[in-house]
Amino acid sequence: MKNKHIWGWPIAGYLFLGGLGGGMVVVTAIADLFLGSPAVMLWGALAGAILIAFGSGLLIFELGRPFQFWRVFSRERAILTVGAWLLSLCIVIGIVYASFLLWHGLEGLRMAVAWVCLFIGMGVIIYTGIFLGTMKARPFWNGPALPVLFLISSLSTGIAAQSLLARFLDVGSSSTLANSESFLSVADIILLVLEIIVVLLYVLIMWTSTTQSASHAAATWLKGSKKLAFWGGLVGMGLIVPLVLYLLGNSVASLVASICVLIGGLILRFLVVYTDDRTLLPGEAEFLAKLPNDDEEFLHAWEEPDHEAE
Amino acid sequence: MSRWAMVIDLRRCIGCGSCTIACQVGNKLPIGMFWNLVTTVGPTGKYPTLSYYNMPRPCFHCANPPCVSCCPTGASSQRQDGIVLVDKNKCIGCKACVVACPYGARTLNRELGIVQKCTFCEHFIGKGKEPYCVSTCHQRARIFGDLDNTKSEVFRLVYEENAVQLMPELGTDPHCYYIFPHRGRQ
Repeated sequence: MKNKHIWGWPIAGYLFLGGLGGGMVVVTAIADLFLGSPAVMLWGALAGAILIAFGSGLLIFELGRPFQFWRVFSRERAILTVGAWLLSLCIVIGIVYASFLLWHGLEGLRMAVAWVCLFIGMGVIIYTGIFLGTMKARPFWNGPALPVLFLISSLSTGIAAQSLLARFLDVGSSSTLANSESFLSVADIILLVLEIIVVLLYVLIMWTSTTQSASHAAATWLKGSKKLAFWGGLVGMGLIVPLVLYLLGNSVASLVASICVLIGGLILRFLVVYTDDRTLLPGEAEFLAKLPNDDEEFLHAWEEPDHEAE
Repeated sequence: MSRWAMVIDLRRCIGCGSCTIACQVGNKLPIGMFWNLVTTVGPTGKYPTLSYYNMPRPCFHCANPPCVSCCPTGASSQRQDGIVLVDKNKCIGCKACVVACPYGARTLNRELGIVQKCTFCEHFIGKGKEPYCVSTCHQRARIFGDLDNTKSEVFRLVYEENAVQLMPELGTDPHCYYIFPHRGRQ
């Protein structure tokens, strides 16, 4: 009965997987277009498409009527409809892009597909942040910060996953891949520094917000119920630790760093989804405080077991 | 054209909860679902200058509803007469509108898997009947009517009795107006 959060863990999981998958597709396309990376990097586009498909599955799982999910494609002006199309297109184009692992020689076509991947992947990364940012009912989300934060975090997790994938495929002996791996580390260092700046600015400025619920929500991150997840999980383990490890530069350190970046990205999405504070109407806080914690308790509170036995 | 609106006179409301129950019974809501909560504000102040009031809260049927613009399936829509409705066949229960509503008017019906809310009892409109919550209110704290009709009671209250909207700064232009009681000396 006491509805703690509107969206549950599947949405946080989707925001992570969608951002991660979109990030991998974008990073693959950028590496292919501008850095001339080896074709083996294309596995990243396939992995990205699979992760996005998995995230979309979580989105459908969270629906009240999962089997009616196709209706989401039916309205053209809503952000979520655009997002649904972007997700579907990104899955398809990611697989098409990865299929260039099989045939060679079509360089021009591959470049064209890479450009399409770049734009659609960016769309997948950013649209969720735009959707949350336009919610005027949720002062903590409302504003331009979340699309930027999600963009940086998605690219950063995408790079981390890409370097994990390169390690897993175990083709580190070729010098071009070693080059692109060190490029990935440098790019992730830059993104981590940016993310530390953006996330701190976001929370600290929200803390001074004129809207009380936004300021209260930021306080729960900084020194309230979510302080451990924010300082320890996101800022500490998810941003500062991998930054230091990447700077150390050795192979094991950057392996651990990549894993830390992924965990940090997941924690960020959970923190955001579970901070859905709304400005309460007069008397609402007192009303909510009186409600029992779950439906079962509420529905059976009036029943007396003795009375039923009679 | 008509534009349906409600004025709630908080000076009259005694917080009996009849409107909540009438709504639940009339609209056959599942147990635990409210379209029409009444919350209590206060008591505030110190004896002998105490005050408190009650706050019924249906859907505000905003002129600029954030729940409609965010709906990905077109299930939430606004009629010409201003009433915001959810099409139960089109809703997939994504809860985007629950997040978008600044007033907490929408909830998920777990049995049906769709989002529902107060409809201003649209099935009564044009049949000379008032919504359940209005007809049941023995204190006449709720006044329902057409804001485009300059002779209606809601028109008079909104434009002459200083009825106010909640959170007007959001630009949603809610069409449920409140007349607040005097706060008394604090």
